[in-house]
Amino acid sequence: MVSSNTTAGYAGGRDASVPKYSTGIAKVVNSALYRHTLGAAVESRIGRVMLLTGVPLIWLVMMHVGPIYQMLKISLLSHYPVQPGVESRFTLDNYAIFFKESLYFTPLIKSFIFATTATAVTLVVVYPVAYYVAKIVKPEGRSKALLLLLVPFWAGELIRTFSVIMLLANRGAVNVLLREIGLIDRPIPMLYTSFSLGFGLVYLICLYMLLPLYSAIEKIPSQYLDAAADLGAGPFTRFRRIILPLSKDGIVSGCSLVFLTCIGVFATPMLLGGPTTVLFPETISGFFHGASDKWPVGAAFALIMLVTALITAGIFMRLVGGKKRSAF
Amino acid sequence: MRNMFADAPRTTLTAFYWAFLLYLLLPLTLMMAMSFKDANFVAFPIGDWTLDWYAKVMQDKQFLEACLYSVMIAAASTLAATTLGTWIAMLIVAEGIKGQVIIFALACLPAVVPGMISAISLRIFISTIDMPTGTAAIILGHTVHAVPFVVVMALTRLRSMPGNLVDAARDLGADSVVAFFRVTLPYLKPALVGGMIFCVLLSIDDFVRTFFLGGYRPTLPMLIFAKVQGGMSPEINAMATLVLVVTAAVGLYAEYLTRRARTR
Repeated sequence: MVSSNTTAGYAGGRDASVPKYSTGIAKVVNSALYRHTLGAAVESRIGRVMLLTGVPLIWLVMMHVGPIYQMLKISLLSHYPVQPGVESRFTLDNYAIFFKESLYFTPLIKSFIFATTATAVTLVVVYPVAYYVAKIVKPEGRSKALLLLLVPFWAGELIRTFSVIMLLANRGAVNVLLREIGLIDRPIPMLYTSFSLGFGLVYLICLYMLLPLYSAIEKIPSQYLDAAADLGAGPFTRFRRIILPLSKDGIVSGCSLVFLTCIGVFATPMLLGGPTTVLFPETISGFFHGASDKWPVGAAFALIMLVTALITAGIFMRLVGGKKRSAF
Repeated sequence: MRNMFADAPRTTLTAFYWAFLLYLLLPLTLMMAMSFKDANFVAFPIGDWTLDWYAKVMQDKQFLEACLYSVMIAAASTLAATTLGTWIAMLIVAEGIKGQVIIFALACLPAVVPGMISAISLRIFISTIDMPTGTAAIILGHTVHAVPFVVVMALTRLRSMPGNLVDAARDLGADSVVAFFRVTLPYLKPALVGGMIFCVLLSIDDFVRTFFLGGYRPTLPMLIFAKVQGGMSPEINAMATLVLVVTAAVGLYAEYLTRRARTR
């Protein structure tokens, strides 16, 4: 791995008599600046630990925890951003507003209904596809079969949402086709309804379901299925008794991923939804654009959404996932 | 043994796969086809075909500027996310550090927080530290978004690395910094290149964080969103098609790289 001449350079990194190498890292390592700063630091255990932990821990605490913490803090204030002359005090009113007004309550319920339905539909639609690629396609062809499914994935959230409009608009492909074959006289209004939003959500997220399911199903040894078949189990029994239980991990991670993504989708409801499909992200967004005084309410609502979404995902993991729990 | 009945599930699944693929590709194909329509309204059937919309898009200063801006933000956030993600992954696999499970959970936190909430919390955060909305804020937001993915990719590769490689380098006199740059980093390279391309695509694709953290300069998704809300035109289709072709090519290349890294 390490060639002999550069090794000599490192070995004598702190010895001035060793010839200096002028290329790449050897030059840096042999420089006086390096030897007196970083080079000296990593000589001691404490220096190494500082170097290893410093930046990552600061980043994680500042940027991964910090924003959530600040959101929590502001959700408990009566006023933010701070204005001169107005005293900001601790209050729980921002949370109370949510429970008082059905105007705010309904979008959250709708968000949950849409996310849950989309997750369920996605699971049912994608499972056979994942099974087909993992178990029926021959190993040589698997990456190709998977890659074909991944192509639309690279189109991005907004472009995929936009492309759904081409399909469902009043003069979109579906309506024009139906009219051509004489099934309908006037276009069926599909765009800007719950249907178009649901369709768009499923279209947007179905690939997040594919990969977890695929990797779980692929791990199931084919011998199990052969053995079950030899013992007389039909296709349905094999699916119910072997494949389904053994792919549970994939179902759990796929569903959680899809659910949490769905809940936080912002652009899709704005492009595909109508006035009756205002979801919670749009409600929250209203508190940040326009009257800036309402930030604490927006923060409180975002937290309500975060907590309910994580609890829902957690309950689902518990129910389906059973005992096996590990972060790694 | 093989009869029609035994093959029925297999045939059904095959048909289902192709139907699903058609479902995935149909809207995008329609969108691309519409970009060649020779009329200034979006409706089927297409009738006459033209390349005029592409000519118009290529001369659209706003579009070109948005492209440049998006690429700049993607490059900056990818660089930051790759450095930080690798560093965090090194910390997680290091020996003798306690609480690695907690560090891993913290590193993955932005990946489980729904996008909208992540955007809101970052908007509040930058205001509490008196940072203005704009380029720097967007880069920060995209970096936070991308770090968990780099951590997971780097970790997967690090776990497959034989431990004696670094030991050998240390025995030969390399200090830990040198061992990292000369041994660990080259070993990680394939995973990191795949991870970097993924970060670029995440950043170029991101809408919600940019929407809350951005200033008046639009990135690509912002521009397309504004145009769609302003009214349909095949010009948007041409724009989206160009973006789609480029990102899909980059994505496929990333797939190819990670695949090669895995088989090696």
